[in-house]
Amino acid sequence: MSVKANYPGAVRKQIKLPMSKAIEIAYKSIRLRLSRSLLVISAIVLALAFLMSILTTQNVVIGMRQWIAAANQTPAQHGQLLAAQQLEARMKAKGIPMSAEEIQNDRIQTRWLVGLALLVAFVGILNAMLMSVTERFREIGTMKCLGALDGFIVRLFLLESLFQGVVGTTIGVIAGVVVSLAGASLSYGADAWRNFPAATVILAAAGCLTIGIVLTVAGAIYPAWTAARMQPIEAMRVET
Amino acid sequence: MTASTISEFAVRTIDVMRSYQMGTETVQALKGISISINRGEYISIMGPSGSGKSTLFNMVGGLDKPSSGKVYIDEVDIAQLDSYELSWMRCHKIGYIFQTFNLIPVMTALENVMMPMIFAGMATADAQEKAAEILKRVELGHRLMNKPTEMSGGQQQRVAIARAFANDPTIILADEPTGNLDLNTGKLIIELLHQLNKERGVTIISATHDHKMLAVSDRILWISDGRVEKIQNREDVKIEVGTIETGGEIL
Repeated sequence: MSVKANYPGAVRKQIKLPMSKAIEIAYKSIRLRLSRSLLVISAIVLALAFLMSILTTQNVVIGMRQWIAAANQTPAQHGQLLAAQQLEARMKAKGIPMSAEEIQNDRIQTRWLVGLALLVAFVGILNAMLMSVTERFREIGTMKCLGALDGFIVRLFLLESLFQGVVGTTIGVIAGVVVSLAGASLSYGADAWRNFPAATVILAAAGCLTIGIVLTVAGAIYPAWTAARMQPIEAMRVET
Repeated sequence: MTASTISEFAVRTIDVMRSYQMGTETVQALKGISISINRGEYISIMGPSGSGKSTLFNMVGGLDKPSSGKVYIDEVDIAQLDSYELSWMRCHKIGYIFQTFNLIPVMTALENVMMPMIFAGMATADAQEKAAEILKRVELGHRLMNKPTEMSGGQQQRVAIARAFANDPTIILADEPTGNLDLNTGKLIIELLHQLNKERGVTIISATHDHKMLAVSDRILWISDGRVEKIQNREDVKIEVGTIETGGEIL
């Protein structure tokens, strides 16, 4: 091993490029592949919007039910009681379960729906990310031939997917909230906002953001890490 | 290791073997190859497909590791290198040229050539300047901002050559560099490699079955069935090429 050390032209260790360089390259890579990136991002947006709209609608309904229950218990204000009864009638007309028993049954259905939305997000996002990285295996092999460190390649894909994940998930969550609130407002008017459980919805949004970003990054890092560890020639040979 | 041996050989292999697992069968692609490639030499590795030519080429270029035996690049045993050193070597000492060009499709010619310089830690402005200079050398000064998809095969391969020369390597590895090009373009690429070989004194190792390559090669290494069949000097080959060419449509 001492052979390596001290003559001109001896092998040295490849330098680690600074984070700023990785950010610069990752940013450029997204910009250059804008249409492909947008496709991936839209898959994330759709998945997250679906999940988030279900959660938001659910919470709005719970908020309205609580408001009706509260109005029934304090019948002092006649106007409010009347409004509550009207709202309850309207919700019943829309097929929303209002009695305790119905609510209990509905809870199972809702869980299924949320589970399904999670599954859609899981499969949709992972698939989009796996595809977009796998089609770049040859590029990863080439980059290794040109002297890129494994860690640097992984870092590039981490940054790229993080960016796509943050943008896609944020848009998706906002879209989900907006769509379901718009729907609720159309159906119930101002009543939808009477007891809006903002804290719960924000909590759900935070959860969705986390899930979306984690899925996006994991879906990119796994194949990128696999390719980066391969011998360059193997990575280039992979059929995509 | 003394200085004289360092300057003598660019690459040495000692009894290199490589086997692959194909399903349940083990395929012996290389069955013990010992060769020494001189510095500044233009050497062609010839052989039919399936002969182990590409496998040997990958070993010599540090792209794959032997199952047994040793590969020395610049007198350094590449099996001893960690991933940082291997990356450094691929970045600084070796330039790769592929049959399929392997340019990054979304990047311009200039950006493609800059890439190895960026990995080497060069400042962007310096890399730009140097990349433009090399691209001018391969007569693509007017195509700096074009993407690979906007260029012909010959032009793409010249970008790839420029990229291979980015960090002034001592060894250029060309894997079937003319395999995807028509006859005339192939000739121009071979001529360009030959010029750069003379001009910069780099060692060029080329895996090929293009007989046009023979005329510029200092030596030809014939591989057959995972073994070295023969090593010929150019003088000995020229006569043979003549007979081959008159003999039939070998080209």
